[in-house]
Amino acid sequence: MPLEGLKGRKALVTGAASGIGASIADRLRREGVEVFATDIHPVNDSLVADLTSADDVEKLSGKVGTPDFLINVAGGPAAPTRSETLPPIPGAMALEDLDEKQWSSVIAANLTTAFLVCREFAPRMKAKKFGRIVNFTSIAARRGSDRVGVHYAAAKGGIIGLTKTLALELGPHNITVNAIAPGFIKTPRIEAAGWGDAGAAFIESLPLKRAGKPDDIAGVVAMLCSEAGGYVSGATIDVNGGWYFGP
Amino acid sequence: MRPVAIVTGAAKPDSIGHEVALRLLKEGMEVVVADLYEEGFAALRQCFCVRTDVSDPSSIEEMIGKAVDRFGRIDVLVNCVGGSWGITRKDLLASPRLGWLGLTNCSLEDWRTIVAANLDSVFYASRAAAPHLKKQGGAIVNVASVAARKGIPPGSEGSSGPYAVAKAGVMGLTRQLALELGPFGVRVNCVAPGVIASGRLKRVFEMTKQKHGPEGPLATIPMGRVGTVDECAALIVALCTDDTSYMTGVTVDANGASYAA
Repeated sequence: MPLEGLKGRKALVTGAASGIGASIADRLRREGVEVFATDIHPVNDSLVADLTSADDVEKLSGKVGTPDFLINVAGGPAAPTRSETLPPIPGAMALEDLDEKQWSSVIAANLTTAFLVCREFAPRMKAKKFGRIVNFTSIAARRGSDRVGVHYAAAKGGIIGLTKTLALELGPHNITVNAIAPGFIKTPRIEAAGWGDAGAAFIESLPLKRAGKPDDIAGVVAMLCSEAGGYVSGATIDVNGGWYFGP
Repeated sequence: MRPVAIVTGAAKPDSIGHEVALRLLKEGMEVVVADLYEEGFAALRQCFCVRTDVSDPSSIEEMIGKAVDRFGRIDVLVNCVGGSWGITRKDLLASPRLGWLGLTNCSLEDWRTIVAANLDSVFYASRAAAPHLKKQGGAIVNVASVAARKGIPPGSEGSSGPYAVAKAGVMGLTRQLALELGPFGVRVNCVAPGVIASGRLKRVFEMTKQKHGPEGPLATIPMGRVGTVDECAALIVALCTDDTSYMTGVTVDANGASYAA
């Protein structure tokens, strides 16, 4: 059965060039949603934007109009720039090895982007008295991580606070705001970074005994945008194969 | 062969479980309804209805046996049964009790009855269904409550302290079963509804004349409304399907932003 409440709606998916974002855009299109895809990395018909720039976000809104669903995927443990749109994903980073520039750029790529995009589009959703916002946090913010630096974990922790606060602020306007916290999801970039062969012992330790796939995340986004997500707001949904169960 | 789902607490016509049963039929499943309320079976002709007392492990085992005899397999178990009242043979159609029922003023019988219907029932049904679910994989979805997150404030009517505690137990049971059944491809998740416009809530409003649900005033719900049975049932069904293929051990709160866990 197709999910109720998706067909004919409009979505904006950020960070949609590859991996989880691309999978979400595909899934929503299959459900009959008109999808605007954006990324700093140019691919096919996606809109190119640097979402750390308020000017770029404003220009994006001119092209997109008012989405019903806002899916903030843009981010990652390495911050892209206009000149390096697909930076390699770094290995483990010790606290003392992080400089202020790395800290600021990763906070901007993961947290400022979500703030600017919500600030731009939420007033339009309020005027329409409907909206579903899905932000992306991470297992790194839920249980901590020995794989990514504190900058990424802190930025993703910020997403949870932003999500809970926007849920309170936008609830009276019939806008739900939730976050998804993926665990180990085997995307092409994660594989290229050499994380794809995460130890067999780690995979074996997961209750579901496998790494996640981008489609595993896209299904949860579709659920939150559908009738099933109508009364879910302020929640952080852990999608990690049983790695961590939340608070 | 169509997949087979068991839904406990689905016979009362304006319950969440009833809507879940109807939606699982639409998903193409055979649906077994396990409930004490036989009067509701006539409205569920497409389902295989089995009179079951979920607080009695032998009654649950008998129901699971009948389901397997009839359909040969179990793919999904949804544990919807529960509540603070209307949960025993004696008081199935009783009205909510007036007055606040907390842990410090409930009788031992209250405690045992409410914990049996809300927590023991989930343990009995999951344990009896597990060997069948493990054969081909599947999903269990439990129903907890926002009461497990924040308790039932003194003075509130229509729910109870033992209920809040039992529902917190359901969340713990969900995590434990996720560990035990994950390796067999059985996912175990939970929904924690806030105030939902079910028949039960209507009766609380009628009886108590209060303008708020047992968990607190509606004004404290940022979305400014109670949830619908449809929304809640759609969420439970989504947790039964491949849309949530990588989720297990998780409790999804559906409370209109009234409590962010």
